Amino acid sequence: MRYLLYFLRKQYIYFLFLALEAISLLILFNSNDYQSNAMTRVSNGVTGSVLNISNNISEYFSLRRVNSILAEDNAKLHSNRSEAFYKADTESFYHNDTLYKLEYRYISAKVINNSTNKRNNFIMLNKGYRQGIENHMGVIMGDRIVGQVVSVSDHFCWVMSLLNKDSRISGKFKKNDQLVNIEWSGGNYQVGEVKEIPKHVVIHKGDTIITSGNSDIFPEGLLIGTIDQYTVAEEENFNYATIRFATDFNSLSFVEVLIDMMRKEKENLKNSFKSSEK
Amino acid sequence: MTIIFLKNIGRFIFLILFQVLILNNIQFSGYINPYFYIYFILLLPFETPRWLLLLSAFLLGISLDAFTNTYGLNASACVLMAFVRPFVISAISTGTEFMIGHSPSLKNQGMKWFAYYSILLVLIHHFALFYLEIFRFNEFFQTLLRVLLSSVFTLLLIFLAEYLSYPTEK
Repeated sequence: MRYLLYFLRKQYIYFLFLALEAISLLILFNSNDYQSNAMTRVSNGVTGSVLNISNNISEYFSLRRVNSILAEDNAKLHSNRSEAFYKADTESFYHNDTLYKLEYRYISAKVINNSTNKRNNFIMLNKGYRQGIENHMGVIMGDRIVGQVVSVSDHFCWVMSLLNKDSRISGKFKKNDQLVNIEWSGGNYQVGEVKEIPKHVVIHKGDTIITSGNSDIFPEGLLIGTIDQYTVAEEENFNYATIRFATDFNSLSFVEVLIDMMRKEKENLKNSFKSSEK
Repeated sequence: MTIIFLKNIGRFIFLILFQVLILNNIQFSGYINPYFYIYFILLLPFETPRWLLLLSAFLLGISLDAFTNTYGLNASACVLMAFVRPFVISAISTGTEFMIGHSPSLKNQGMKWFAYYSILLVLIHHFALFYLEIFRFNEFFQTLLRVLLSSVFTLLLIFLAEYLSYPTEK
């Protein structure tokens, strides 16, 4: 026992090194379970306020561009108002609320930290639990996808951007609804990969890829990007293409978080199906 | 002693903020991300006890991780770097006595010594960081390119800082 203690004392620096490495690696590889991670909730408050201050300054530089995006959105919304429609038949023109149940609600949020130069990029937004944000919610900008919420504190949240090795978006060709997967392999932030394109699909440069609505995160029909280059692989079962993202990840300033009002119902349905399968 | 302590704490805070607020926002290309904050570990005084070296490196890494939502990533790379620092110093030691309370510097140790010292440690840190970040082998050469390009830029910043803080006397 004494020798053991002596040994520990003599070599304590190696044990300290191994212990610290073990702690860091454990945190690194277990950090998927963000919600249970108490550390994130505490530190997000501190880092959030620092990043918020820096964003308050840098925000001014993008005001002109943000304005033009807002003006475009306004024009789009105006054209959807009921006044914009020509009422052909005053008798039968009505708007029935029971037919249109609200499925998605949008919360506007400001990007206070963003990166595109890392292999795994995250975006910090200035909205959190208090504003009703939860994990796994989708984040969009206009009709383009941005990412998904992975960690929430009281006033801030981290969004895993599409530019991340863990990000996998289920998309489809707009022209024929063929399902594909979209990933990002690092490097240029404007270009991603389209994987698992069935052999029989004829690909053209400029084909639009939209979200498929198969995942619980994004509704159908959001813009992902357009096909840039493609290769026809002779010996494999799937073709491969690169995609030019519709979202400019380097200039995000205001985004919207999608709140799925029927998420509970969908999850319950899925769970009941799973439990009956056993 | 207290002054050295306070100086290092000040450097810690300054380097973290510089990294988070300026360097992380600069877009060179997808391949170049300088990590200048490890300058802190390079500059810790020679007689810093090894446990303090490891602990302060861990704190440095985890603080940066908090800002980029990559908990554990920078911390493990920094701890590794702090662990090998004494080995690197003894391996390239020129035999001359180091003065108490002094940090490694270009001016005191000379160009050749400082170049070996910083290049080795920066490469070790960047290798650990970028390969842990990707954690797959199918992007091996892409990651290698990122390691080398980023190391070059980190080293450029370190040497620039050395020349700025110790102007050569005539």
